[in-house]
Amino acid sequence: MGRTLVEIEKISKIFPGVKALQNVGFNINTGEIHALIGENGAGKSTLIKILSGVYQPEAGGKITMNGKVLEELTPLESLRNGIVVIYQDFSLFPNLSVMENIALGHSVEKNDTLVSWKAMEAIAADALDQLGLILDFHVPLGELSVAKQQLVAIARALANNAKLLILDEPTSSLSKGEVKKLFEIMLSLKKRGIALLFISHKLDELFAVSDRFTVLRDGQYIGTYSEDELDDDQLISLMVGRKIEYTIYPKNKKEEPLLEIQNFSKKGNFQDINFTLHKGEILGLTGLVGAGRTEVAQAIFGLNPVDEGTMLLDGAPLVINTPDEAVKAGIAYVPENRLQEGLVLRKSIEDNISLSVLDSISANNGLVDLTLKRSLTEKWMDQLGIRPNNPQMLASKLSGGNQQRVVISKWLATEPRVLIVDEPTNGIDIGAKSEIHQLLRELAASGLGILVISSELPEILAIADRVAVMRHGRIITQMFCEGLNQEDIMSKAL
Amino acid sequence: MNIKSLKIKELPILLILLLLSLIITIANPTFLTVENFLDILKSNLVLAMMALGMLMVLLTGGIDVSVASIIAAVTVITGQSLIHFSSNIFVTILVACLSGTLMGLVNGLLIAKLKIPPIVATLGTMSVILGLVLYLTNGAWITGIPDSFIEFGRITLFSFELVDGRTIGFPVQVLFLIPVIFLTWFILKKTVIGRGIYAIGGNLESAERMGFKADRILIFVYSFEGFLIGLAAVVHTSIMRQVDPNAFLGFEMQVIAAVVLGGASVLGGFGSVLGTVIGVSLFCVINNGLILMHIPVFWQKIVVGLIIIGSISIDMIQKQRVEKNKIRVDVE
Repeated sequence: MGRTLVEIEKISKIFPGVKALQNVGFNINTGEIHALIGENGAGKSTLIKILSGVYQPEAGGKITMNGKVLEELTPLESLRNGIVVIYQDFSLFPNLSVMENIALGHSVEKNDTLVSWKAMEAIAADALDQLGLILDFHVPLGELSVAKQQLVAIARALANNAKLLILDEPTSSLSKGEVKKLFEIMLSLKKRGIALLFISHKLDELFAVSDRFTVLRDGQYIGTYSEDELDDDQLISLMVGRKIEYTIYPKNKKEEPLLEIQNFSKKGNFQDINFTLHKGEILGLTGLVGAGRTEVAQAIFGLNPVDEGTMLLDGAPLVINTPDEAVKAGIAYVPENRLQEGLVLRKSIEDNISLSVLDSISANNGLVDLTLKRSLTEKWMDQLGIRPNNPQMLASKLSGGNQQRVVISKWLATEPRVLIVDEPTNGIDIGAKSEIHQLLRELAASGLGILVISSELPEILAIADRVAVMRHGRIITQMFCEGLNQEDIMSKAL
Repeated sequence: MNIKSLKIKELPILLILLLLSLIITIANPTFLTVENFLDILKSNLVLAMMALGMLMVLLTGGIDVSVASIIAAVTVITGQSLIHFSSNIFVTILVACLSGTLMGLVNGLLIAKLKIPPIVATLGTMSVILGLVLYLTNGAWITGIPDSFIEFGRITLFSFELVDGRTIGFPVQVLFLIPVIFLTWFILKKTVIGRGIYAIGGNLESAERMGFKADRILIFVYSFEGFLIGLAAVVHTSIMRQVDPNAFLGFEMQVIAAVVLGGASVLGGFGSVLGTVIGVSLFCVINNGLILMHIPVFWQKIVVGLIIIGSISIDMIQKQRVEKNKIRVDVE
């Protein structure tokens, strides 16, 4: 193994309300493939952004490269020091040729006035040569396959003299054969002494090429382990040992089917999705980000119509092509990003809650009946305990938990039978989370069927009766939550 | 270099140009005469020069609807300077280019520094500049341009005699267009700033990450366009021999239409000098054809609108197709 290239010491990053990273420290060596792993939200992306100069760490943290302390890193400085991130979108230029994508950075860096196409050609040829690639230089990048674009991004990194190459989920849109090719290239870069930081959720891939593993959990450094010290199970238990304690609600087996999803498929989204949501049940739908959970939810709600499959509500077939039809059928959907998609921040609580039912509170002349609007608002504010008790309060002035309640009220006002909530407690504090959990349980007790999409396994285990785990667009397993632990779920999701 | 791919890219527009010319010639043989050709050239030099500036703007992903107002203002300034200040051709060029560049610079600063969307910023300057021009001139024509300047505008190059005894030749104003074509090509193809123009149009975030200073590039682009408008104003004044402050009403649409006809994308990143030159030619031939075929002039506006909507539709459809391919979950 090579010598130490990068030393990461006491790196912390605090965002309002969230400690994204706390005192993370480990080393990356030259000529190694170093895996960085953790659940969604463990802090991997934040760490990459700090290494690449997009975020500044909190005071006290230090990054040393080749013995030199990198202070006040900017994206450009980071690049000049040889830290190159291959993002999932590659950051390339679809309109420029392969050659320019690889070599243009050189001219910019040298502050040239004129470009030398000859020099660019030489640089690009050299970089592609190092990777053993044969590509037409002059094709616009946008015409290449995703896999080839990724290789161009790596070639560009080489042309920029990358010392630390950070690959963020590089295999997520590659086929099996393309992954194999990528791994060959990663191994050849390793031989040249380049350090690779490899982020992936796929354990088999991580074990196939990685020398060492660094595990993050909830923004904390768990440890760095060499490849022969660990197996799959140990790695999973290191990743998921979250200690957040929620109230665990008793699990019920419900028998009366409410919503039955049969053979839902959509090309490029998900395939063969089958599950049944029962009356009074909370069904958790989990899996890694990108597994297709939200796509399924949006399909049920008519935002993402399926290619094939049928849906039964109370045993009767139901065809839904638009959200409007879904609402009429009694299905409500609270989207993941409640601030962006679910709430009009500059409108009052009253305006927000009544938004989904404007039709039913309008008189025959098409104008909204304000008395009806107020009484409707007061009913839901009372039932869900929205504070402060002022229907005119702007949504932007409410706490996270209360904002979430307003969004849920908005959908409850349509009097749904099925409620789908996507990451209901993302970004709110722990007290508000518990309240939302309690609210969801109460709604289920009143007979609603609730589908909760969540990446947070403790949350699923706390409130769901059953859980369906998705991976790569399929439901891998469905389990009764009684007696389950986080490892049971994570091992299926990975 | 990639001459091969260049040729292939611009070929369809060139073919359309040739085909259309053939159709018009069959309908009206006057079209294919040296005289008509020189006429088309002379009356579209201004359009061509402004189109090259607009090309750069579109490449960055921006748009400039103030170009017609700017050239109206610069022709007024040029006319006044010729009458009251100096009839020297070099002084005139200097005055015109300076005032054009300054107005472009204002657009550039609004867009690059205040981050105002280009369409909004230039709509604003369009209105302000046109308002000022009409206020100061009362919309009246400026006549009495010095004879020396008029004489300069009448010079022809490579003159020859037609069968009926009249002498015709290339207008001297061509000497403005050719260097402008070369200069624009040189900047876009050979300078780092030129490649930066393509880069920020292709992927702004990545371009900045790579070290391009997007704000400086944008300021340069809008100022350069103003500079070209300054030259175009001199050309225009020397051809018309008087200044009509209202001469350019709606002209920005023609400039944009000509550039998008040449294959430039309004979404940024795609377009070339060669394509633009062909696009301008195609646009002129369409216009000329409409006249020669005695189609009412109002149709010109309709055609311009259709060209813009058509080209943008193609861009959007292509973009949607690309996005669709991008968003996918890997289903095993």
